[in-house]
Amino acid sequence: MTPPAENLALAAPSASTPEAPAASPEPAESPRAAAPEANPPRPLATTAGGRPPLDRTAVWLLPNIAVICFIVAMGALLHVLHRQELEQQRAALVRDIQWAEQTIRLHLQANQEVLTQFANEMAQGTLDPDAFLLRASQHMANNPELENMVWVGENTLIRWSAPFETTARLVGERLPRGPSDEAFRRARETGRVAYSEPFLPDRPEAPFGDARQRADGSATIEIHVPIYEDKLFRGTFSGAYSVSGLLYHLAPPWFTDKYQLALLDREGRLLGTRAGATLDDPALTQEIPFEPLGKGLKLQVASLRTESRFAQQMLTVLILGLSVTIVWSFWMLRRHMGGRRQAEVERDRLFNLSLDMLCILSLDGTFRRANPAFERILGYSRDSFLGRPTLELVHPDDREATRAELKKLATGEPSTYFENRCRGADGRYRWLLWSVNPAVEEGLLYAVAHDITDRKEGEQALASAYAFRKAMEDSILTGMRASDLEGRITYVNQAFCRMVGLPEAELIGRLPPFPYWAPEAEEIDRRCLERTLEGTAPASGMEALFRRANGERFDARVYASPLIDAQGRQTGWMASINDVTEQKRSREALRASHERFVAVLDGLDAAVTVADLDAGNLLYANRAARRTFGCEPEQNQTCASPWQVLHEMVAPDAGDAEQAIDTELQHPANGCWYHLRARAIKWVDGRSVRMEVATDITEHKLAEEMSRQQLERLQRTSRLITMGEMASTLAHELNQPLAAIANYSMGCVSRLRSASFNREELLRTMQKATAQAERAGQIIRRVRDFVRKSEPQKNLVAVAEIIEEAASVAEGAAHKRGARIVLDLRADLPQVLADRIMIEQVLLNLVRNGLDAMEQAPPNLRRLTLTAEPAPDPSMVMVSVVDRGHGVREEAMAKLFEPFYTTKAEGMGMGLNICRSIIELHQGRLWVEANPQGGSVFRFTLPTGA
Amino acid sequence: MPREDATVFVVDDDEAMRDSLHWLLESMEFRVATFASGEDFLAAYSPRQAGCLVLDVRMPGMSGLELHDRLNAAGVALPIVFITGHGEVPMAVAALKKGAVDFIEKPFAERDLLAIIERCLALDAARRLERGEREQAQQKLATLTPREREVMDMVVVGKLNKIIADSLDISIKTVEVHRARVMEKLEARSVADLVQRVMVAQGGKPPPAN
Repeated sequence: MTPPAENLALAAPSASTPEAPAASPEPAESPRAAAPEANPPRPLATTAGGRPPLDRTAVWLLPNIAVICFIVAMGALLHVLHRQELEQQRAALVRDIQWAEQTIRLHLQANQEVLTQFANEMAQGTLDPDAFLLRASQHMANNPELENMVWVGENTLIRWSAPFETTARLVGERLPRGPSDEAFRRARETGRVAYSEPFLPDRPEAPFGDARQRADGSATIEIHVPIYEDKLFRGTFSGAYSVSGLLYHLAPPWFTDKYQLALLDREGRLLGTRAGATLDDPALTQEIPFEPLGKGLKLQVASLRTESRFAQQMLTVLILGLSVTIVWSFWMLRRHMGGRRQAEVERDRLFNLSLDMLCILSLDGTFRRANPAFERILGYSRDSFLGRPTLELVHPDDREATRAELKKLATGEPSTYFENRCRGADGRYRWLLWSVNPAVEEGLLYAVAHDITDRKEGEQALASAYAFRKAMEDSILTGMRASDLEGRITYVNQAFCRMVGLPEAELIGRLPPFPYWAPEAEEIDRRCLERTLEGTAPASGMEALFRRANGERFDARVYASPLIDAQGRQTGWMASINDVTEQKRSREALRASHERFVAVLDGLDAAVTVADLDAGNLLYANRAARRTFGCEPEQNQTCASPWQVLHEMVAPDAGDAEQAIDTELQHPANGCWYHLRARAIKWVDGRSVRMEVATDITEHKLAEEMSRQQLERLQRTSRLITMGEMASTLAHELNQPLAAIANYSMGCVSRLRSASFNREELLRTMQKATAQAERAGQIIRRVRDFVRKSEPQKNLVAVAEIIEEAASVAEGAAHKRGARIVLDLRADLPQVLADRIMIEQVLLNLVRNGLDAMEQAPPNLRRLTLTAEPAPDPSMVMVSVVDRGHGVREEAMAKLFEPFYTTKAEGMGMGLNICRSIIELHQGRLWVEANPQGGSVFRFTLPTGA
Repeated sequence: MPREDATVFVVDDDEAMRDSLHWLLESMEFRVATFASGEDFLAAYSPRQAGCLVLDVRMPGMSGLELHDRLNAAGVALPIVFITGHGEVPMAVAALKKGAVDFIEKPFAERDLLAIIERCLALDAARRLERGEREQAQQKLATLTPREREVMDMVVVGKLNKIIADSLDISIKTVEVHRARVMEKLEARSVADLVQRVMVAQGGKPPPAN
């Protein structure tokens, strides 16, 4: 199998196209590379849908764990780093905070020492107010953490106050009750420096509370240094620290850049911060007790957001971000893999479930993989044809084309659809429609084959059915026209198009009037259509006159029937149209030919009739027959046919109706001669009839009679049968020499008489005359010789034989004259002693005379009877020739047998004379009698042999 | 006697008969010419030759009757005598109807033959004379001028000179001159003679009666 085909692309274009290219790069970096099914071709059927879900989880377990470990490790690393960082920070913080505490304490101690200085000077009394103010102001200018410096007298009355512009402690005021007053008292009582509780200068009696909850000012702490002048208490020198100012001025800028510095009271309440804001991260806070200012105070340092911190955070964020990204991408990958897997499962399922045959072939057309449809359709087990070349299966007729397709595919050119036949296991060939997509770099062809055998067979059946129908439709000569109920033409067949000479396109959809209606017959054609649509069309069809495209008219016969669709509804009318022009024409032609036939028959001089054999009535008679024989087949059924007219009158007893007749007869009424031919034929309706053709041959007959007579005369002379004829010849021949002799003699006489003669001449002439006389003598001798030769040679013969022979010789002559010769011969006659030839000649002579005599007689009477009977004398036999002719007149009877008596214009009168001589030679007698029925009877007798 | 310039032509197929007739007729002092067949005779005969024809009815080839027909058709008016044998009388009768002079049956008497032949020759001579006169008269008539002919036509029907002059619109004198010339040319001695000559010239028919 070869077919590559691009049809896969068509069958599942979206699925296959992206998949193919994806296939190669993907396995390299996807976890699928490790998956078992990545291994090369394995029949899909086995891997099918059956892999347990556990496997899949196992596949994913390792990457899952790896990802989790990776994330945990990263988290741990981050945590450790963070911790180390915190530790380092904390260590730095501790260092810094200790440094800060020390710095602040040193400042406080310095301030305390200044105040102590003032107290000492006061006590010594060396201190005047101006110096105080000057020195205090100077000191405060260098130590801005100090708000003011005041000398509080022993009665809490403020005596001096520096700087002079301060408003917090005005000279003359008393110390307010509260922490300030309390610290004064303690300093007085203890004689030691005392620090007050923090308070807000504006409300010195109330405790300060938490700085975060107050916005009205910074906490102030006062230091009181008692002044003792020799045990005499003189009040205190007091300095006021603003916590904020303290923190602000005493922390160097590099410190404040890194940390936030805060002072907390004993309860942990914030008294003031360097920045005024607290930090969120407690891990970065360090507190140390800050004793110099009072009991329980703590200095707190919180590390500020520094550069390194930001980088670390960034790192963390980065790591977290990366982890998230990995997880996300892993998840996406999983999802994608799941999708792919699903797609693969689906694809495999489709591959296995597909009714079409899907297969993968190597470039040479060998099967690499095939779906179960192959087994199902072709019937081979999978193993039996995997690895086999497809060409083996291909029908030999299709092999070449298939090979060509394979070759084309091997070049990477995708195949369009092509069809071939493949042999199934049962030996039957299936029609397959192939679509093949080549993947040359893989050396594979992806092919889809669709079993189109049924379709093909269906198509073929349909095509042949269609072709048959079409051929049938085209071959019928009847025009078909279908119209809807309004008369619009919906269909016409070829025959109809040919008939009207218009193409189908010009007819379909037309409404009446139709283009093929003849304008002059439009009413007829319209009526025809209306009747069709009304359903009143007669079953026998309707006549219409149509016009062809070339203007020719033709007669049509239209039959209409309703057109019923598959639902049984009538959708229109089907009309079948026959061109009956030819029928009409042939009918006309038939009529014309009949007329011609009749004209020809009527134009014939011969009478033609047809009569029924059984009933005898006339079926047809042409004009000549009607005229001559008075036959009128229509009027007179019993009219006689020419045969009956001619024949029955002559011989009513003779004639078999079915026998073929070919004879000549004389019409009894008009005497004309007819040649009658009749024979039995099959009439148009199948019955047996007799056709008779009677041709008037009177003229011909006469001419024939003439020639016959001449012929007969010739025969007579040649056979020397008629003595009279011989005598005539003899006379003529003798005449010549006799006349010549007479002439010579007369010439001699004349010359001798006139005496003017030449002797020699006379002698010569006389010799000539003698020669002529000899010539005459020779003639005479010839006659004598003849007579001698013809002397009777008598033998015993049966007279009946002679008569029959003579009758048969004369039969022809009798027939020509319309007469019949009838024999009436006695059977028991004795033989006679006679010259057979001579007696025959006598008989012929008498018969001819008789026939001649009857020439004028009516035809029905023309009958010559020859009889033979015993004569009255028992030693004789009498033969009679009886005619019905004109007879012999009484006075002629005696002369009849004399020589040279004749009643015929050309006769010599020798016949009867010679006849009598012959009979007398036989010792017989010849005589004549009148026939009582008319005519005459010639009789002669012959001696019997006894 | 016309015997000198007239010939008896004999046509007979029988040599003896021909020869004996020749002998006999010669003894009667006729000039004789014999022919064995009708064809021979037709080949040799010229209509100017006077005489008569003795013809056998029955001959092989052209029969006597046929030869007769041929001569009639050619306008030759030679008198013919048929010689007939036994039974040929009806043929001879038919020949007579077509203009033959006579027939004689073999064998015949000398006298009969002589009489018949002489009658034939006389008839032939008379016919030839008449024809000669007619031709002469016609020749003379042909010499007339048309005007003379007109005048003559009127004279012969008996019209007077004056009437002739009036009808021809010429003077009487002129008529008289024409008339004298006509008489002279036709060698007529009188008007009756003139009429006679004109009749001869016109084949015996009387002149037109206009």
